[in-house]
Amino acid sequence: MDDVATKIVEILRKHMKKPDKEIALDTKLEDLEIESLDLAMIVFDIEDSFGVEIPYNANEEADAFKTVGSVVDRVRQLVQSKAAA
Amino acid sequence: MTNTIAGHAISSRRVVVTGTGAVTPIGNTVPEFWASLKAGVCGVGKIASFDLEDLYILIGAEVKAFDVKERLSGLKDRTLPMADRYSQFAGAAAIEALKQSGLTIPVAEPYRAASIIGSGAGGVNTLEVAYRDLFIRKKRATNPLTLLRFIGSSAAAHVGIEFGFKGPTFGTVSACATAPHAIGLTYQFIKSGMIDLGVCGASEAAMNYGTMKAWQALRVLSPEGCYPFAKKRNGTVLAEGAGILVLEELEYAKARGANILAELKGFGMSSDAKDMVNPDFEGPQYAMRQALDDARLSPGDIDYLNAHGTATTINDKNETRAIRGVFKEHAEKLSISSTKSMHGHLLGAGGGIEAVACIKAIGEGFVPPTIGLDDPDPECDLDYTPLVGRQKKVTYAMSNSFAFGGLNAVLIFGPPPA
Repeated sequence: MDDVATKIVEILRKHMKKPDKEIALDTKLEDLEIESLDLAMIVFDIEDSFGVEIPYNANEEADAFKTVGSVVDRVRQLVQSKAAA
Repeated sequence: MTNTIAGHAISSRRVVVTGTGAVTPIGNTVPEFWASLKAGVCGVGKIASFDLEDLYILIGAEVKAFDVKERLSGLKDRTLPMADRYSQFAGAAAIEALKQSGLTIPVAEPYRAASIIGSGAGGVNTLEVAYRDLFIRKKRATNPLTLLRFIGSSAAAHVGIEFGFKGPTFGTVSACATAPHAIGLTYQFIKSGMIDLGVCGASEAAMNYGTMKAWQALRVLSPEGCYPFAKKRNGTVLAEGAGILVLEELEYAKARGANILAELKGFGMSSDAKDMVNPDFEGPQYAMRQALDDARLSPGDIDYLNAHGTATTINDKNETRAIRGVFKEHAEKLSISSTKSMHGHLLGAGGGIEAVACIKAIGEGFVPPTIGLDDPDPECDLDYTPLVGRQKKVTYAMSNSFAFGGLNAVLIFGPPPA
């Protein structure tokens, strides 16, 4: 895992009820028992840590929020496009 | 057996509605609001009243062209025109309701008249201005009226001062169930014999940069529109306004020859006591059943249900399930709609204007529609009166309000007693 992934896993663990669970890039967020309010907190922490904005909507199924790896990919994209801007 | 409080019989006191007032994104008076509900007018649009800065949710349902001078001039309470926008809405709606009731001010027994007007957030526009002054503009002091403007009891106090009502006066606070809690408490105070009349409901004016940021961070707002029960729904849309009723004890109203618009038949309330954002279906069911029991009605007696219907994924599915649980086979015959599809989510004031919609539905024999419902979610499979309203005899109407925190309040209205 690179720096982005390590930081995201750290944020996830902070908000998980059972933070000792094993987390890999292909782990599904639903398997980490993350509920909607937890996810709002996680997205807020990610935005704050990486200085990006993620227009996540709790009412929609977002592909970017299916697995740990998909979150990492999305954040990496946002960080890169911010650096390019 | 007849009990009395201060010489007033309480055994069989009934509560009627003699006045209604509304300030909404689709009409700043009850006649305008009702005409828009009938016509399926949508009040949602790009927010125009403040600078959106870096917000990415850009839509809301704002009250348009609210003329403070026109609505709040020549008042006994000279501070009301200078109050927070939420108190101004409450004042304008209360004045409209009182005028319709025909009550003469001052009332004969002012301590037996209540002003119970809540708000989910209170005067948050005032707070935002004050904080910008302090933290950004580095001013040394806030406007002297800041405190009086933002406290959540100011609307109730202003309206009480304006009408000279000296009985129970306070605001209720229960997020999106605020208005029915205010109306339900006033109803119970009248039934108990404590008071004879009250002006009640709720007001909300919580659309500003800071509040929008807070809602945006909760991730429940739609960037596109308010589409309750539709497959395409993706969140609610913030709105503002006020919905106010004048309630009176039946004999009191009859004695003064009042024009009675409807009877408030039942009130139910409960809490899920489970989760701040994920609603349960048992709490809403309990509140609906309690309101039916209080009204001495069966589920089959209800003709129209004004649903909470916020257009969040979870509320609409959960409410459908709760309605099915209470109404059983009658659920299929019930006319339901979410008028939030037109006026958006007025938060604390939502149940106030939706109570007005129920009273008008009874009086006019018309069920307002759920607009935007061209493709219903298969999990929201009841008659949600899609796209256009319909003529229908409405004898009894129920209004549901379910709030963050799992706070539920339900009102049932019926026709004027014969």
